Amino acid sequence: MKEIKAKAKPCAAIVGAGRTKFGEHWYESPERLLMIAGEAALESVDHGLRRSDIEACYFGSFLYQVTNKLGLVPGYMARELGVNIPMTNTEAACASGSSALFNACIGIMSGKYDVVLVGGFEKMSDRFSKIVDNLMFAGDPHEFDAGFTFSGLYAAMMARYIHDYGRGDQRCLEALAQVACKNHHHAMGNDYAQFRREITVEDVFKSPLIADPIRLLHCSPISDGAVALIIVNPEVARRYTDTPIYILASQQATDDVSLFTRESLTGIKATRLAVSKALEQAKISLKDVQIAEVHDCFTIEEILFLEDAGFFGRGEGWRGVHESFESFKGSKHIPYVGDFGELIVNPGGGLKADGHPVGATGLRQVWECFVQLRGEAGNHQVSLDKPLNLALCHNIGGTGGIATVHILARSLGEGS
Amino acid sequence: MSEPVTRRKILTDYRIRVARCELCGKTYFPPKWFCNVEGRRSRMSFRDYFYSKGFLYSGTIIRRPTNRFEYLGSYLAGIVCLEDGPRIPGRITDFVPPEDEVNMSEFIGRGVVPRFRKTYEDGPQGLIYYSSLNFSFLEDYYPYQPYATIKLSERSDKIGIVGYGVYLPKFRIKNKSPEEAQGVQERTVPFADEDTTTFAVEAGKRALIHAALDGRYIKKCFVGSESTPYAVKPTMATVIQALALGEPYEDGFVSGGVDTQFACKAASDLLIDAAALVAFPAFNGGCVMVIGSDNSQAARDDPLDFTVGAGAAAFIFGDRDVIATLDHYVSYTSDTPDFYRREGSKYPRHGGRFTGKPAYFKHVVTAMKLVMKEAGLTPKDFSYVVLHSPNARYPFQAALEAGFQPDQVNPTLFVRWIGNLYSGSSLTALAGILDVAEPGDRILMASYGSGAGSDAYIFTVTKAIEEKRSRTIPVKAQIESPYRQYVDYHTYRRWKEMG
Repeated sequence: MKEIKAKAKPCAAIVGAGRTKFGEHWYESPERLLMIAGEAALESVDHGLRRSDIEACYFGSFLYQVTNKLGLVPGYMARELGVNIPMTNTEAACASGSSALFNACIGIMSGKYDVVLVGGFEKMSDRFSKIVDNLMFAGDPHEFDAGFTFSGLYAAMMARYIHDYGRGDQRCLEALAQVACKNHHHAMGNDYAQFRREITVEDVFKSPLIADPIRLLHCSPISDGAVALIIVNPEVARRYTDTPIYILASQQATDDVSLFTRESLTGIKATRLAVSKALEQAKISLKDVQIAEVHDCFTIEEILFLEDAGFFGRGEGWRGVHESFESFKGSKHIPYVGDFGELIVNPGGGLKADGHPVGATGLRQVWECFVQLRGEAGNHQVSLDKPLNLALCHNIGGTGGIATVHILARSLGEGS
Repeated sequence: MSEPVTRRKILTDYRIRVARCELCGKTYFPPKWFCNVEGRRSRMSFRDYFYSKGFLYSGTIIRRPTNRFEYLGSYLAGIVCLEDGPRIPGRITDFVPPEDEVNMSEFIGRGVVPRFRKTYEDGPQGLIYYSSLNFSFLEDYYPYQPYATIKLSERSDKIGIVGYGVYLPKFRIKNKSPEEAQGVQERTVPFADEDTTTFAVEAGKRALIHAALDGRYIKKCFVGSESTPYAVKPTMATVIQALALGEPYEDGFVSGGVDTQFACKAASDLLIDAAALVAFPAFNGGCVMVIGSDNSQAARDDPLDFTVGAGAAAFIFGDRDVIATLDHYVSYTSDTPDFYRREGSKYPRHGGRFTGKPAYFKHVVTAMKLVMKEAGLTPKDFSYVVLHSPNARYPFQAALEAGFQPDQVNPTLFVRWIGNLYSGSSLTALAGILDVAEPGDRILMASYGSGAGSDAYIFTVTKAIEEKRSRTIPVKAQIESPYRQYVDYHTYRRWKEMG
């Protein structure tokens, strides 16, 4: 079948990408993790790229100051890389990585830089109780003082969602578990994933309660890891590779940090705004999106995304998930099916199974789309009837205080 | 939290301060001056939701809490929708979730009432944080009480009680052998987030509701206790801030007070001082709040461990709309070391049987006799005699020793069901009698404080008591509440130690 081509002018191109395995890296420091990913990204550039080509660095990380007592990331990375170029670090909770990329795209689009390195990292493995406390930096202090944990905030969203749209229907609870099962299934072929084991709906239901109705297997894990990308001006991309991946849209929207002041607990306004702006910038429709990297920090969030983006109507996401999961007969990627056609969500396992080192996640999503669109995803390569060309990455911070959306394409259409 | 951050949060969290744009009506919590609708700094009015109610919009049972809340185990954290709009985060207190998964839909929509509780503390050496972003279910132990002020009558020369409130925790422990506990059948137990300060605020809140009095009129607040959570830092300042006592000035209040200590009569001693202040010309018609509050302390397996309760009683003294006049007073004191706690010790020590005849009975009976002599009255002239109640036996015997009949003292022995409230003991019993007293009833009250002394007071109930009665939550109703919940000895000790 014919490839879907985008007509938008790309804002940047990705010519190299590297990452660490996600999981527990007890012996690695945050800056070392970032260096491993950065070295891999540099080495992945097909035609080679010298360190001196890099004009600036954009980093994204969330908790390094409190978890590892580090500050001034630019200073650390200047020492590690042996350069003295402009660097900046962006903190936007779980959306720190994608926010760094958002800023990097602005740097490229402004004409200031042609080649930049974007890195996201997080080192979270530590005393468990410490990280439970630290994660509440992504919430409002009043939520902290009311006894909420980060998972508790998403549990309040999930409880209200079930109450409004699925009360008394076992299928709704199953759908919330199926998201986790699907993402674990997708991670089976992903060599970098933290979890490579199948789980069942029953496993989810039997896993320990964390914050009712959220159980352990509804949650993404605590992870260490880093990702780095080489982002260039699209006009110079072919100097570095014959198969650059273009960033057609880079958008961001924000909303209240506090869940309790938001208009709704069952939808993320920042996602709605960012997706809408990104589709407009990329000049594509939802139906054109073939794979989506979605911020499934808790399974409810993947369902909220499907509704916020418009794949399913409000309150209908769980039905779409349930029907897609139940009717799936294949063995590899489980698509969501609806009026939009078919959509593969989180082909590498998402946050749930690939892992969620907070500041790295937004860039891991882009890394995933980069390898998928180039056909380099190996054992977890998505194969569709149509050639794979368009992917969307959705990364949110906190409980929805910020959302960043990037749309990527392998090849450009006429007029691009 | 640091001290400056704590101070900032107190201003918002003690009374649930919400900003409202006067131009568009949009409300904001946390409060702010910039209106998002208007897109600029706007005219904001600030309203406290301290006396409000709301409903649970959503929530969860936290099974793996943050470090600061680990002391609570599992609990319900929720988002509460206040009565006319703003949503705030709030923890549901006095609620122990089941171990199995909870269907949150069963809780969503349930009415809730704010409660002043401890949130957490920075370890045993650090600050203790309180807020009103804690809620109990409306259809539960604490009924919702609306708060409205009434137009005050003219000042009169009759000085006495203008309002009172008693706070007894929801949880109870039954004594296996009430006989061994000298007639104490069951006792009040603080929830894990309660302490003397939270009891004091809740009792004071009820006293204001009962008196229908604007807190601005209260210019002095005394809190008597032998279990204040801080060795140095006044409980009464927390009470003043939380109840907004005194005329507001900048971010403080034009009012004063002090915490007092004299074992179980730390508060009762101040009743005469309260009345005297009201009469003092330069006090300009102000009112005084006296609170006796204790999370009564006892070492594990000490005889006291089977009589101690927890709770507080608050009394407001004034000279307008008085429900019981304070007519006579005598205090009797001697240096009798029957019961004491050294600085740094966790639990009090006592002299066993020495606390009886040479201590309690000697001082209480003497004070009763002296005050009757001064008033020219005899036991027959009283409807009730209310005494400090370390157990059910002592006050009964002391009353009889002073010449009273059993039916004058029996109705006052609430100690059987609530235990010894230490500083709150005689005051709670007085409140329990005012709940049922009729105009014209004369009441003799005598407290007791180890160390040792007794304050004896004579009150006469006025007609004004009838109009205010509907605004009390009677002591008996709290004792008999169908929502009271029993805990085992282990839980009782654990929660008590946290206070």
